[in-house]
Amino acid sequence: MTGAGNYVGDLKVAGCLDAAFVRSTVAHGRLLAVDTSAAAEVDGVVGAWSAADLGDDLAFVPPFFPSAGGEDPRRCAALAVDRVRYVGEPLAVIVGTDRYVAEDGADAVRVDIDPLPALVDPGEAAASSTWLFDGVDNVATEMEFGTPIDDEVWQRAAVVVEGAYRQPRLAPTPMEPRAILAVPQPDGQLTVWVSHQAPHRLRRDLASALGLDAERIRVRVADSGGAFGTKSGTFAEYLSVVGLAVKLGRPVRWLEDRAETLSGSTHGRGQNQRVRLAADENGRMLALALEVDADVGAYPNTGFVAAETGQAAAGVYLTPNVHARIRVVVTNTTPTAPYRGAGRPEQVYAVERTVDLLARRLGMDPAELRRRNFIPPEAFPYHSPTGRVFDSGQYELALDKALELVDYTHWREEQQRRRRSGSERPLGIGLCSFTERSGLEQAPMANEWASVDVAPDGSVTARVGTCSTGQSHETVFPELVARTLGIPPGRVSLIEGDTDETAQGIGTFGSRSMQVGGAALHRAALELIEEARRRAGEPDARYADGTVITGQRSWTLAELAAASPEPLRAGGVYDTPAAFPFGTYVAVVEVDRELGNVRVLRLVAVDDCGVAVDPEIVEDQTRGGIVQGLGQALYEVMPYDDQGVPQADGLLGYLLPTIGELPPISLDTTVTPNPNTALGAKGAGEAGCIGTPPAIVNAVIDALGPQPAGTATDIGGMQLPLTPETCWLAAAGQEVAR
Amino acid sequence: MTGRIPVRLTVNETPYDVTVEPRRLLADVLREDCDLTGTKLGCEHGVCGSCTVLVDGEGVRSCLMFAVQCAGRDIRTVEGLTADGELHAFQEAISAEHGLQCGFCTAGFVMLVVGALQEDPTIAEDPERLDGLLASNLCRCTGYEGIRRAVLRVYGKDGTRQENGTAED
Repeated sequence: MTGAGNYVGDLKVAGCLDAAFVRSTVAHGRLLAVDTSAAAEVDGVVGAWSAADLGDDLAFVPPFFPSAGGEDPRRCAALAVDRVRYVGEPLAVIVGTDRYVAEDGADAVRVDIDPLPALVDPGEAAASSTWLFDGVDNVATEMEFGTPIDDEVWQRAAVVVEGAYRQPRLAPTPMEPRAILAVPQPDGQLTVWVSHQAPHRLRRDLASALGLDAERIRVRVADSGGAFGTKSGTFAEYLSVVGLAVKLGRPVRWLEDRAETLSGSTHGRGQNQRVRLAADENGRMLALALEVDADVGAYPNTGFVAAETGQAAAGVYLTPNVHARIRVVVTNTTPTAPYRGAGRPEQVYAVERTVDLLARRLGMDPAELRRRNFIPPEAFPYHSPTGRVFDSGQYELALDKALELVDYTHWREEQQRRRRSGSERPLGIGLCSFTERSGLEQAPMANEWASVDVAPDGSVTARVGTCSTGQSHETVFPELVARTLGIPPGRVSLIEGDTDETAQGIGTFGSRSMQVGGAALHRAALELIEEARRRAGEPDARYADGTVITGQRSWTLAELAAASPEPLRAGGVYDTPAAFPFGTYVAVVEVDRELGNVRVLRLVAVDDCGVAVDPEIVEDQTRGGIVQGLGQALYEVMPYDDQGVPQADGLLGYLLPTIGELPPISLDTTVTPNPNTALGAKGAGEAGCIGTPPAIVNAVIDALGPQPAGTATDIGGMQLPLTPETCWLAAAGQEVAR
Repeated sequence: MTGRIPVRLTVNETPYDVTVEPRRLLADVLREDCDLTGTKLGCEHGVCGSCTVLVDGEGVRSCLMFAVQCAGRDIRTVEGLTADGELHAFQEAISAEHGLQCGFCTAGFVMLVVGALQEDPTIAEDPERLDGLLASNLCRCTGYEGIRRAVLRVYGKDGTRQENGTAED
């Protein structure tokens, strides 16, 4: 705001070198040669390395979740060896005295690639006899959730509907691209400044991949210019930069440019989905089957994203038979990784679009159909057929509130009026009811470390293992600790994102910071109060406003801290299981049939993230997420040609929403406290990306209808994003499969 | 291409004598040579607006100008708004209205708004013109609403701009 922020690129280190990468412009091919000799001659270039030049120093990207057993046949090298597998894959790294010089060096590298057939679509890749990795086919993982549904269930059902959808690849696009600065210290320590979501994991991975001692690495997250899931990895480029800083004994930094980010970083989504839904004549759901080919890109480091889609398959609906089959498939495209929502937007889209299809098939109001099928509040904790335990929910409450807020009856009447008049733009109303997982279910990661210290001057330092990349932790965590201790927020400072200052940490992703990190700070602060009472020798004393009080006397926290050389401190690792925030979104749109433009007239979001510790900051997260969801619904896609070349290399090709695309947005909440923590908070931050796209798409389909009564399939229909061309073709009744 | 030439840049009324290659972008010279890192680079191809600065009073993308083009011209960056230690009214407003989250685009929005509204405060009175202005820049975090509220808080009909006197620096 004042220019005083310290992002990685703002840090000044004497003698710092800049790195630049040579990247593949071919999607798939034999890498015959990478000649760096001319680069090394460029004035100011300190060195240039291909994988061959690095020899035994070549590092490999550690998998997100290490697999059991020998070497991963699909592992990813820091620089490509023998084969290139996507456009944007790093082939060589150049280090020079500044970025211009390093890029001059990159231009001087000669690359020889013998092209192979490129596989762009996961369904085609799964079936192809061209394999990306020698000796193993293109299906990296197959997962099943629930049990296969008997044919009899489908045959007996009064209605069965089926849809096929595509989740396009999205570029997460934080405003700050990736950035890292590695500074070797004379004493052998190494400081790594980085824009990242999980510094402790990065430290562990850097140590294991580069053969360094983790104890001697300090990872520090500077101010971060956004992340949205795409800054949680241990990237190939980071291994090169840190490895070369150590090798050269000089500071090296890498500031990615936008063209690199768009194809060389990670993408989100990327699924081909097929959904089958059976119901009785009253609309009660009987069975749901979901089949997904998840496009994980060239290296399957993050196949776990698609697991979320399968595990949550039936969403908010009480469905006795649920089965999901997920294939994680490698293709010659940029690797996919978590992007805001990470598996949940895909699941919710598949189900919510199909629920609307079922409503049309039955001739039933889509709100009423949802209402009939929600998991009722008394059914929680709810064990789903796909093996998930939902903690709590009041789905109908959120639906009702959303319908009231949007004035559903009014818009249905307006829709009818326009249909009768025939001369006005068609109007549609779309709903999306969802639940999402926040925090993690895997026991080793369902926790966070936190500590609270009081100094003799009464100042309080809170430390936590989460890591803000723009989620206002510096505001809300001190507020939370101050409120718990009954002291002014100004007395509490927060430290996070520094592996020397925080004993351990899982990081910030999956909307876990407040739910898990906040709950950890809350419990540490409560334990600190207990410790203060013990120090006062009055375990049963009253505590209020930073003071332990008995009938006779009182002790402030500062006095208790000053009275002993032992620090006044509480902390540790605190478990918090996954939670399930939920909500209903409603979109009202009109479509210009002649131009295909979609105008969103109203967007209503009712979210329940449990107890909101700071409702304003939750609202900020919701609004930001909604606008990303709007982009996903209407504008954003990273298209590839059939040679595997991404068709957007800048922000004129990859369209982000501006303020000019902003619809009128109305927000409200319901509050169903997290039953598993005293704080009561569930995750917030990703819901906007989850609820918005299906609501808008359902509204556009509703506007362009009505379809013939009894339509039971939605195959070959409109696919995201709903560009004017897509909508124009749909309005003209043409096939729009792309 | 690699010849270096001396240039005097006047940034926030302070002269900077730098010797730069002609190909060096204004943004890079501000950040690397003048140590004014408040100006951010988000796309380096003139779309996102994070690098917006004022040159002769007009908002420009400093990633689309060469530093040598700016010799003798009046350059203003976000650092210049707080030269006297006090926040500019719009900086206060964008914070109060939650117009930033990660903060990376913020300096660009601040310079865009201050530059344009100083020239023509009536932009704030017309929602379409205001959206037209703010659509020049990209923010990926906030959903824009807080940025719009911040403009209105300062420059709107009942905005604070009048009380604060001029919004100069």
